[in-house]
Amino acid sequence: MDQYIEYLPVIIPLFIIQIILSITAVIHVIRHPNYRFGKKRVWIPVVLFIGFIGPFIYFIFGRGDD
Amino acid sequence: MRSYIVFTKKELIEYGRTYKFFILFTIFIALGFMNPLTAKFMPKILESFMPEEIEIQLPPPSSLDSWAQFFKNVTQTGLFVAIIIFSGMMSREYEKGTLVNMITKGLPRQTVILSKFTASTLLWTLSYWTCFVITHIYTMYFWKGETVLELATSTLFLYLFGIMLISVLLIGSTLFKNSYGGLLFTGGFIAILFLLKLSHKIDNYNPLQLANQNINLLSGNLHPSELKSPLFVCCTVIILSIISSILIFDKKQI
Repeated sequence: MDQYIEYLPVIIPLFIIQIILSITAVIHVIRHPNYRFGKKRVWIPVVLFIGFIGPFIYFIFGRGDD
Repeated sequence: MRSYIVFTKKELIEYGRTYKFFILFTIFIALGFMNPLTAKFMPKILESFMPEEIEIQLPPPSSLDSWAQFFKNVTQTGLFVAIIIFSGMMSREYEKGTLVNMITKGLPRQTVILSKFTASTLLWTLSYWTCFVITHIYTMYFWKGETVLELATSTLFLYLFGIMLISVLLIGSTLFKNSYGGLLFTGGFIAILFLLKLSHKIDNYNPLQLANQNINLLSGNLHPSELKSPLFVCCTVIILSIISSILIFDKKQI
């Protein structure tokens, strides 16, 4: 484990960015329940579990117009 | 001039409200953190994939590897994401008919094009250089004292290449009413650049060099002055694209 401590200054911010991205996306999925395709129960796991790609796909392709 | 500033502001606000800026920016920040990390971990990852019988000697990662990751990730992931995000620049406005009102009320057509270009270039600038600064800080942190040659020039070249793609996307997006049209247009443009690589003579002028030769610049295998002609072609393409987008949009029925 010791050898990974050196990398913490990079891993922690990366992790935080990931969390921010996922949470923003989840909030948006819940608050705006009209999507271009897909359903809420599909989007929530996609946005939460598919790294950076999930939120990206949601905001660019899946997000419905307000 | 006032309408230009107002319309550019409106564009920027739109990028903010549609979360496009947020996505582009966070992805570039993430790339910035990932570059040095992948470079540092790459030998370990390779080792774990190798069968035990094969002994390979990998040199310890250097700051050059970190920058190699930067140029690889920005050209492959970063530019890809940026182009997808900007792909609807004009075509979305056609689809929704949101421009009709403003143009009939006296907004000059060229202002629309110039503002669109300015806003997307601003976003690209901010994201790209943030990514650069983060990678730079961590490369200095992990590889203290190691320096690479021509870092500023090399990153500037890739930055200009990005602007060129945005300007080409602007023509594509102005031409087609569907946002996939713009994407295909830019894809075709990149495909042509790759095809031109086959011919040695033309390749000396190929702007693709600005995105491909960065590592050679950093390691000193190539001097920036050798990329003068691609740089010239790149700037010409940017200017011509903007002018032709204005001309196309002038004739376009919206």
